[in-house]
Amino acid sequence: MSAVSGWWDDFFWGSLVVVELFFVALIMTILFGLIGAGAKLSNNRVAKSIASGYTIVFRGTPEILVLLLFYFGSAIILTTIAQIFDPEIKFVDFPPFWAGSFAIALIIGSYATETFRGAFLGVDPGQIEAARALGISSLKTFIYVRIPAMWRLALPPFGNHMLSLVKDTALIAIIGLEETLFVAEMAIGYTGKPFTMYIVVGAIYLGFSTIITLTVMGLERYANRHLEVTR
Amino acid sequence: MYEERHDMSKVDRELMIELENVDKFFGSFQALKGVNLTVGKGEKVVVCGPSGSGKSTLIRCINRLEQHNNGKIVVNGHELTDAVKDIDVVRREVGMVFQSFNLFPHLSVIDNLMLAPKLVRKTPKAENREIAMRLLERVKIPDQADKWPIQLSGGQQQRVAIARALCMNPKIILFDEPTSALDPEMISEVLDVMIDLAREGMTMICVSHEMGFARSVADNVVFMDEGEIVESGPPGTFFDNPKNDRTKLFLEQILTH
Amino acid sequence: MSFDIELILDSIPKMLMGIGLTFELLFLSLVLGTVLGIFLLILRISGRWYLAAPTMVYIYIFRGTPILVQIFIIYYGLPQLEFVRDSIFWPILREPFGCAIVALSLNSGAYLSEIFRGGVLGVDRGLKEAAAALGISVRQRFIYITSPIAIRLCLPAYSNDTVSLMKSTALASTITLLDMMGIARTIVAETYAPYEVFISLMVIYLIITWAIQRTFAGIEKRMSRHVRREA
Repeated sequence: MSAVSGWWDDFFWGSLVVVELFFVALIMTILFGLIGAGAKLSNNRVAKSIASGYTIVFRGTPEILVLLLFYFGSAIILTTIAQIFDPEIKFVDFPPFWAGSFAIALIIGSYATETFRGAFLGVDPGQIEAARALGISSLKTFIYVRIPAMWRLALPPFGNHMLSLVKDTALIAIIGLEETLFVAEMAIGYTGKPFTMYIVVGAIYLGFSTIITLTVMGLERYANRHLEVTR
Repeated sequence: MYEERHDMSKVDRELMIELENVDKFFGSFQALKGVNLTVGKGEKVVVCGPSGSGKSTLIRCINRLEQHNNGKIVVNGHELTDAVKDIDVVRREVGMVFQSFNLFPHLSVIDNLMLAPKLVRKTPKAENREIAMRLLERVKIPDQADKWPIQLSGGQQQRVAIARALCMNPKIILFDEPTSALDPEMISEVLDVMIDLAREGMTMICVSHEMGFARSVADNVVFMDEGEIVESGPPGTFFDNPKNDRTKLFLEQILTH
Repeated sequence: MSFDIELILDSIPKMLMGIGLTFELLFLSLVLGTVLGIFLLILRISGRWYLAAPTMVYIYIFRGTPILVQIFIIYYGLPQLEFVRDSIFWPILREPFGCAIVALSLNSGAYLSEIFRGGVLGVDRGLKEAAAALGISVRQRFIYITSPIAIRLCLPAYSNDTVSLMKSTALASTITLLDMMGIARTIVAETYAPYEVFISLMVIYLIITWAIQRTFAGIEKRMSRHVRREA
C-alpha cells in the first residue's frame, strides 16, 4: 500500500472534480427530467413525441457512445465555428468537464423523466380533489399538495439515478477529464501497480455511493415521518 | 338447522386439540394470555371477539403459522414444538381456510387442489384428479375446474379454497374469518358448504362474526378479548345468558344492527 | 460540415461485423449473471448470517462502483497479482474477452440478485401461508409457489437489466475488444467523422434495445394469462 503514498493528494483533487461534476450534472439532470416529464404529461402532441423520442434514445444507447458523440461532435462544432474566425485553427477542444456533464445529464435525465412522470401520476387524485373542493387554487394545490406527495414517490428511484450519475462520471475519464481514473493512470505509469491504483479508485467511488445512499435514506425517513406512527 | 350437538361436558371426549396456558408475544405486545381450550372430535367451535383480541393468532398457533411462546399445544396427539417433522405432520392433518382465500393465482382451479396431494403425498395423477373433481362437485362448482382463480367470484374462490383444504383429507379444519372478505350475497353459499361439512362430522374451529352460523352449528362458542378467553359455552347459554359483562357488551354491539 | 451518406453505408457493415462479439458478450454474461444472481439470492434469503452477510457486501461493492472501474481492475489490475498469474484461471483472465465476461457477469449477478429478491418479496405472504397450511415443505413452496410468481414479477426489471447489460458491453471497447463500439471508434479515429459513424451505431443499438424489450414484453404477456381478467 506504500505505493499509494504520495498519490493521495492527487486522488483527492481528482475526487473533488468528481464531486463538482456530480453536482453540475445533478442540476442539469433535474432540469431535463422536469422538462421531459412536463412535456410527456402535457396535451401537446409534438412535445409528447419529442419527449418520448428523448427517453427512448437516451435509455437505449450505451453511455459511452453518447459521451463520445457529444465530445467529438461538440469539438467539431466548436472547431467549425472557430475556423470562421480564424482559419488557421485546426482543432478546438471542448472542455471534457462540460461535454461530459451535459452528456450524462441528458442520459440520466431521460430516466428522471420517467420517474418524475410516474411520481406525478402516482399522487392520489383524491387528495387533489379534496384540496380543490376546499377552494384552494390550482397553482397552490400544485405547490402545497401535489409536489410534497410527488417528491415522496420520486425519492427512492431518484436515489438510484443519483447513484448511476456518480458512477457514470468515471466514464468521462475516457474523454480526458482529469479525475480519479486519470490520476490512477498516471500513478500506474510511475509505480507499475495497476491493481492497487484501480482499487483506490473503486474505493473512492464506493465512498461516494455510500454517502449518496445514506443521504437518500435520511431524506426518505424525513419524507415519510408522518407515516411512522407507533401505537 | 343443525340439531345434533356435542355434549362438551362428557368426560371421555376424544380430544383433537388441547391448548394449555398458551402465551403468544409479538415483541412486547402479548396477543395471547394464558389461553386454555380443548376441542373434541367432531366438535365445532366458533371464536368471536373484537379486532385485535387474538382470535386469528389463536388458530394460527394451532397449525404453527405462528409459534406460541409459553404453554402447551397438542394437535391430534402431536405436541407442537420446534422440531420440523412435527409441523409438517400436523399440517397435513389440519386444513386452513383464509379470509383472503389465498388461491395460487398461477394455477388453475383443479391444479390448486391437486398440488399438495401431488407434492406431499405423491398421489398418482389420475387418482388425484378424481379426488379433486369429486371435491369440486361437493362444493358445487365442478364446471370451473380449468379456470383461473381470478375468473371466479369471491364466493366461488372461497369454496375452491375449502375444497383445496379438503383434498388433504384433514381431520380438523381451521377457518379464519372465511366470509369477512365476501360481498353479502355470496356469504350464504360459503356458509352452506361449511354447514354441510359440519353435518358430516368434521372437527372445526371457526373465527367468525356470523352469529347465525354460530347459533345453528356450534357446540362451543368462545368469546375472546385482549388475548384472553373471557367466556365460552354452548350457543344456547352463550347467546341467551352471557355471564360476563364484556361478553354482554360485545353481543349487544354485534347483534343490534 | 456535410453528412457523408457514403461513409455511413460503408461503416455500417463494418460495425455489424462486431455484432457477433456484442451478442456473445451479452448472452454469455446474461446467462452467467443470472446463475450467479440466483445463487446469491439463495444465500441472501437463507436466513444464515454467515451466508447472507458476505453476499450483501458483495452486492454492495459491485453495485456501488462503476463497471468501467471493475473492468479495469480485472483486466489491467489482476495481472499485477502473482497468485492470479499462477492460478488456473489465468488463461481466461489474461484475454480481454475473458476479462470482459468475468467483469460483466460479476456485475450483473449483483444487480440481478436484487431484482430476483424483489420478485420473491413481492409474492403475497398469504399464498406462502396457504401452501404451508397444506403441509407443503419449505423447499417445495419455493419451487412451485414462490418462484413462478416471482419470475413473472421480476420480468420488467429483468428486461431493463438486460438492456443495461447490452449497453455495458460497449465498454469492452475500452480494453481493446472489437465489438461494434470498438470498430466504430477505430473508424472515427481514421475518418474524423463522429456524427455519421456514431449516430448510425446509435440506431443499431436502439434496434437491439427494441428487440430485447419486445421479446420480454411477449414473455410477460404469456406469463400473465392468469392475471388478466377476462371481460
